[in-house]
Amino acid sequence: MPSIPAADPFSHYAPIGVLLLMAAAFGLGNLLLTSIIGPSRHGKIKGMVYESGMNPIGSAKRRFNVRFYIVAMSFLVFDVEIVFLYPWAITFPSLAPDSELAPWFLGRMLFFVLTTLIAYAYAWRKGVFRYD
Amino acid sequence: MHHAVLSHFLLTGAVLFVLGLIGFLSRRNLIVMFLCTEMMFQGVVVTLGAFSRFHANDTGQTFVIFVLTIAAAEAALALGLVVLLFRRRGTLDVQAWGRLRG
Amino acid sequence: MTHMLDKIVTLWPEVALLVGACVCLAVGLSPRAGTRLLCAWVAGLSLVAAGGLLAFGVGQADQGLAAAAGTGMTGFVKAAIVGVGLLLLLVAASVPSELERDAPGGLVDGDGKFDPGSVMRGEFFAFFLFSLAGAMLCAGANDLVWLFLALELTSLPTYVLVATSRDRADAQESAVKYFFLGAMAAAVFLYGFTLIYGSTGLTNFDAIRAYVAAFADSGEPLAPLLRTGLILAILGVSFKIAAVPMHFYAADVYQGAATPVTAMLAFVPKTAGFVSLILLLSLVQPAGAEATRAVTWLLCLMAALTMTVGNVLGLLQHNVKRVLAYSSIAHSGYILVGLVGFTEAGSTALGNGTAAVLFYLVAYGLATVGAFAVLGCIGSRGDEAQTYDDLAGLGRRHPVLGAAMLISVLSLLGLPPMIGFIGKIYLFGSAIDRGYTLLVIIAVLNSAVSAVYYLRIAAACYFRDPAAETVSLAVPWRRAGAVLAAISALVLGVAGGRLVDAAHVATAGQAQAVAHVSSVAP
Repeated sequence: MPSIPAADPFSHYAPIGVLLLMAAAFGLGNLLLTSIIGPSRHGKIKGMVYESGMNPIGSAKRRFNVRFYIVAMSFLVFDVEIVFLYPWAITFPSLAPDSELAPWFLGRMLFFVLTTLIAYAYAWRKGVFRYD
Repeated sequence: MHHAVLSHFLLTGAVLFVLGLIGFLSRRNLIVMFLCTEMMFQGVVVTLGAFSRFHANDTGQTFVIFVLTIAAAEAALALGLVVLLFRRRGTLDVQAWGRLRG
Repeated sequence: MTHMLDKIVTLWPEVALLVGACVCLAVGLSPRAGTRLLCAWVAGLSLVAAGGLLAFGVGQADQGLAAAAGTGMTGFVKAAIVGVGLLLLLVAASVPSELERDAPGGLVDGDGKFDPGSVMRGEFFAFFLFSLAGAMLCAGANDLVWLFLALELTSLPTYVLVATSRDRADAQESAVKYFFLGAMAAAVFLYGFTLIYGSTGLTNFDAIRAYVAAFADSGEPLAPLLRTGLILAILGVSFKIAAVPMHFYAADVYQGAATPVTAMLAFVPKTAGFVSLILLLSLVQPAGAEATRAVTWLLCLMAALTMTVGNVLGLLQHNVKRVLAYSSIAHSGYILVGLVGFTEAGSTALGNGTAAVLFYLVAYGLATVGAFAVLGCIGSRGDEAQTYDDLAGLGRRHPVLGAAMLISVLSLLGLPPMIGFIGKIYLFGSAIDRGYTLLVIIAVLNSAVSAVYYLRIAAACYFRDPAAETVSLAVPWRRAGAVLAAISALVLGVAGGRLVDAAHVATAGQAQAVAHVSSVAP
């Protein structure tokens, strides 16, 4: 793997400082400029959620069904499990076809998938995927 | 700034981490506070990735995957706790609670 | 490819707990209430299985703590966690039943069918076992990644346990507070781990120790990056042990959680935290005392502040749960005293600080679990007992519970026949032996201050008239747990010599290792 050089004279920090200053100045400057030179109008139409779009129906503060959050949570957890598959998928083909390590490699990943399946079965039985 | 060196990446990571820490300590909304802790984790991840490249070994990247997993588990937990608390309290403002003082 | 299997072989006790946790989850989903009641037995069985495996020498490999602090240490800590874990299970076994009594209608769906989403008995015991397994994994950790995952496995379930342990807003608020500060602390020690990795390019503990030793041999100072990383890691882990500067959550969280869960919070994450501290400090031990002066100063400062803050704030409380929370903070300060001067091996039998720390964790665990368990056995005005008034007359009404509370607080105070006395002698003796006399004077003064609130608890039990509104709860298992914890604190205190010897033999390897390093260094 190519590595990052460690060259580390103080001068290298200066551009970053300038960059940070510029970023901060840009953000603050825009806020300041709009409040000084921008026209300011208020009104019912102006205050709508989509000024030139469709009229909103109901309140945006409507409560979502709590099931929504539970599904979001399970998605989040199962989604991350995928990350573990990538390094495995990249290393597995590089093994020789007749390598004696291959069954171990496959077995481990199958075990990992099995644990995920157990978690899935638990979530299912717990009623996470029911909408009623 | 001809090419990126280690300190650039480390600085990016440190800035993310410190911004997250400052945000965590200064904000009063639970969701924002949680985002700040996530930002601290991302600062760590950037640092780990940079060190992994610098040392030219994969350990740091392996670490990153596990950090992401824990971050996801914490996100799920945070979501659950926040929903639980919001249903009971109707607000996510930390200063609205004072029951546990004394 | 037997490398991975070699590792698994050392982890069978943890595997027993994890399998037990999964069985608990499955059993907890049963539509029959009688079947769900089996969860507690499954948890107990898996703890006994883990203890049996440890007793037969499985899972005590020379890694993690053993490599850091002497052979046998890993097994000692794992056995301590399993033992106190069994006591905690006795104490906490009836928590789900108490919750279901609060909400008896929540068990059935609208259409009369069983709703698995409404019960949490299985989850309660599963998370309990997960947390214990995490603490045991900490003891076996020999890699930064492993240690990070083990610490998180210890902590994440405790957040859920706190939130769901009582059907009160207090519990949920304190859980949110606990979780957010915990996530922040996790990020801090993780950044520390990252810097340690960045400085050395290694995550394996043995490799890092070898790297540091090679540096020390060449006469170069400790790399600033490594030192910064270590300090950040210590500060982050101080959340787990509730030490200054991350102590302020403890009182609120301990008060908000159900008392049996509080007992667990006071022992399991704290043990994991101290084990991690020992492991982290062992990384730079080969560098010698001079190179690690900053770390030693940090530990001294943390120890002195933690015990003083804990005891002074403990004096001001009226709520016994909060008093015990501050007592727990103060004890973290005492235990930290055993870690200062970690680079030097002591010259006498009292000199081994690491052994003293691990022994005191057991002493503290038994006494704290006993005190919280007694508190959990009494109720007041339809809630759990929390104030001094609720304890009034306990010794006259329930002589056994009163005696258990008395033994527990006296052990926490460190009076002679109890285990806390041996623990403190051992802990402070090791620090004197290493030349930290001022710190020990502060610690002894603090112990004297703490007598005020410990004796106030005892006086409430024995010298006040029983309060009319307190009732004793029908929790036979919890009473058994309280009595067992108190008996252990007394018996191990009287016959503590053997345990001290065991802890001592366990750390003999460390003294040799240090002697070896110092003989190699010029």
